[in-house]
Amino acid sequence: MASLEVKSGALVSLQDLRPSSPFFKQGTSLRIIGKLHEYSFETGLATVIDGNDILKVNTEHLRDLSFQVGSVYQFIGELLIQHDNEGVLQARVGRNVDGIDLNLYHQSLLLLRQFQANHLNNSAN
Amino acid sequence: MQQNNNKNPSISLHNTHVKLLAFDLLTLTPPSSPDQPFTRKSIPITRLETLGTITLRDHKPSKFLRFSIDDGTGCIPCILWLNHLTSPHIARRRSPQDVCLLADAAARSAEVVKVGAVARVRGRVTVFKGSVQVTVTDVVGERDPNAEVLHWVDCVNLARNCYNLVTLSS
Repeated sequence: MASLEVKSGALVSLQDLRPSSPFFKQGTSLRIIGKLHEYSFETGLATVIDGNDILKVNTEHLRDLSFQVGSVYQFIGELLIQHDNEGVLQARVGRNVDGIDLNLYHQSLLLLRQFQANHLNNSAN
Repeated sequence: MQQNNNKNPSISLHNTHVKLLAFDLLTLTPPSSPDQPFTRKSIPITRLETLGTITLRDHKPSKFLRFSIDDGTGCIPCILWLNHLTSPHIARRRSPQDVCLLADAAARSAEVVKVGAVARVRGRVTVFKGSVQVTVTDVVGERDPNAEVLHWVDCVNLARNCYNLVTLSS
């Protein structure tokens, strides 16, 4: 059996994807969530927003997903940083998550990060 | 979970479907021999429940379906066996009716496994090429958009208030 190799998409908020962020690196696997602001059927390029933060997502590999402006989507993929230092997520997985509690999502994300950091610290000691 | 009623209660996680995040599962201590279980803080872990997004799928019809579940903290390699009707090993141990039921259940689980879908997976924690994997017993699709978030909270809660407090059963 061939081994299955795929990177996990690190859970990030769009505000974690500013150029100064440690997640803002070429090829980083990420999982993001945001409201669809714009979508081009011709290019497959979507723009998602979360508060004041914005990210472009290339959805050309997501053939079975339909896009509706105003809906909330989750994407997993790799970050491509372009020459103008703009990041575009090359999505390999996506889904509509309308109905998600974004407040719970962001709070749980903080809880998860804290738990993970504590767990890894304890394991190291 | 079994709990003793003595002064220092010891809880066994044996045969419990333990809810672990991927990063926790992937850092379990490997067994010293193939017939021993993985351990977490010296506690044997034999069964797992996970929930996440399916990000990879490798299907060999009538043999197996390998897939990967990404819960945001790591990717868990899973294998669902589909060889019930052709395996002499299973035929020796199970009645023909049982084999048919198992084959049907596995086929139904396989239908749920699609890249991009969110699924809850239960199975045994096993070893493949020295690394942990989940040998799947059932897969259920999740449609609630909050299911993954609630699973994270469950895992953190259980780790803090249950699994981290478990002591070895005598």
